[in-house]
Amino acid sequence: MFALQLTTAGVATGSVYALIAIGIVLIYKCSGVVNFAQGAYVMLGAYLTYGLVHVGLPAYAALGCAMVLMAGLGVATERFVLRPMLKAPAVAIMMVTLGVLILVKAVCLSVWGPDQIAFPRLFPDGAVEVAGIFITYNYLAAFVLAICLSVAFLAFYQLTPLGLMQRATADNTRAALAIGIHTSNQTSLAWSMSAALAGIGGALLASLNGLSLGLADIGLVAFPVIVLGGLTSLSGALAAGLLLGVLQAFADGLLTPVVEDFLRAHTKIYSAGALQQVVPYALLVIVLLVRPEGIFGERGTERL
Amino acid sequence: MVPARPVVIALVASALAIALALSLGRFGAYLLHATAIAAIGALSLNLITGWCGQINFAQAALLGVGAYAGGLAGNAGWGLAALPAAGLAGTVAAVLIGLPALRLRGLYFGIASLAAQAIFEYLFKFAEPITKGVSGLLIKPLTLLGRPILTDQGYAVLAIVVLLLTYLVMMWLRRTDLGRAFLVIRENEVVAKGMGINVQRAKILAFAISGFFAGLAGALIGFTVRLAHPEAFGMGLSVDYVAMVIIGGLGSLPGALLGAGFITLLPEAIQRLGEMFHVADLLSALREMAFGLLVIVFLIFEPKGLSALIGRLDPRRWLGGRSADTPQPVTTQDLT
Repeated sequence: MFALQLTTAGVATGSVYALIAIGIVLIYKCSGVVNFAQGAYVMLGAYLTYGLVHVGLPAYAALGCAMVLMAGLGVATERFVLRPMLKAPAVAIMMVTLGVLILVKAVCLSVWGPDQIAFPRLFPDGAVEVAGIFITYNYLAAFVLAICLSVAFLAFYQLTPLGLMQRATADNTRAALAIGIHTSNQTSLAWSMSAALAGIGGALLASLNGLSLGLADIGLVAFPVIVLGGLTSLSGALAAGLLLGVLQAFADGLLTPVVEDFLRAHTKIYSAGALQQVVPYALLVIVLLVRPEGIFGERGTERL
Repeated sequence: MVPARPVVIALVASALAIALALSLGRFGAYLLHATAIAAIGALSLNLITGWCGQINFAQAALLGVGAYAGGLAGNAGWGLAALPAAGLAGTVAAVLIGLPALRLRGLYFGIASLAAQAIFEYLFKFAEPITKGVSGLLIKPLTLLGRPILTDQGYAVLAIVVLLLTYLVMMWLRRTDLGRAFLVIRENEVVAKGMGINVQRAKILAFAISGFFAGLAGALIGFTVRLAHPEAFGMGLSVDYVAMVIIGGLGSLPGALLGAGFITLLPEAIQRLGEMFHVADLLSALREMAFGLLVIVFLIFEPKGLSALIGRLDPRRWLGGRSADTPQPVTTQDLT
């Protein structure tokens, strides 16, 4: 029963991870950029939602506005930061996204301060009981929203003409150009969607765990997710996100007490600390060693 | 053989730096040793990232291992031997971190190193009997021939001497077969294998050597700060070091020094400016903001780093002569 309870909590957080990871994969596929600033988008999305509610907008309108603003910011990043660097070495591009992360974090720090803020209520309090498990509306709504968005997004990518153009750009930019796709517009579109997804993911996470600058670190958790999922696979990111969320919940709820009991009995160590934060990374190292291309990834051939 | 001129330049520069250290006040000496120590760490990372082409986000973890090992050895009364001990601890940790690099490359290794950083950070907090957990390990001053070094000037001189040694070793290494093998591995591993380079051995050696110097730098950080604290060796510091080698110019030794100077001194400069304009309460946010903005603007306009910028300023280029004989920074390379 306890395990089921943990699973539901894990699935809820995991679905939000998946939402954020899909954004990273999208940008990587379309523009070949590893976007470390995704964590910053997550945080900024949450802060913007908070700020707009603070100004007097109703919660859902604020969430919508924040998404639009985030999409704009995504386009701006692509246009003004990434586009001038098209020919730069890959590491320099990686570093510049880290620069964006530092900058956005600093802006949030100066505007909203370092303390944790109570996030406006997006969903009503209370819980539903299903087969003896309590699920708060918060978790339920986060899960439903994140999964719906992820699935809708995957459907858009697979089924619509625009999605086809996106896939063509990601697959082979030159060939896409040759058949008349405006690839740089497609890249901008990918960045805007990705930033908007990250922003809404941030608002959902903040509604679960509260709002603080620490939200930016979620970008770092998203990296194990995309690597587990195989870096270029959107559905892989979704599956890996869910897996990781559940795993974290279990590490927190089941593993930590066991480890701490053992430690207290046999050593002088009193606390096992934040074990759930290390579990994804430990899993990541193991998976990478066994299957370097990720669980759902494809092995690329290597040419000279 | 290492050509004589760069060695002479390095020796003269360190002699000048030592003279500067002895004439400066406490704060100046502090800036000097902070920069010199960062430069050692940056040179060590440059070996992995600049030469071998493996982006490594676990440099702060290695510095941390060095700080804890050096601190424990120093507290146990090992004197100056604490520094090589820290170096060896760094070597062991770096080889552990580097093991995944045998199977992974490019971005995948970068993310594995991110994982290593997180795991080490956790271990620093977790292994409480050794590391004193979240309260941090207090470190006694380093003793040299039985006398403790207590002043910032003393540490500045020590750091500059270690930096000089590191720089000379790196210059020598770059010209050995192993150093050349690193560059081939960076350009293309398949080619390296085809040329008969033992890629696995070269990579492990790269991590071992890099880890040794990272350990030294970490121990110096420990002895100057007098405290090894898990928070001090977090992800942010790793990002700073990656920024140093990229902003300096990947693969270039003088570039690593320039990058270290830039990243270490920039926040101090912004701090001064902020104090001048009386915005002290916004300072930390402002400092970060300017840092992020400068990194972005700088990389947009000079993605190959400070060393490329300085190479362009070289007057001999315009006069039609040979350009400077410093190693050229990295040409295009694809890490993904």
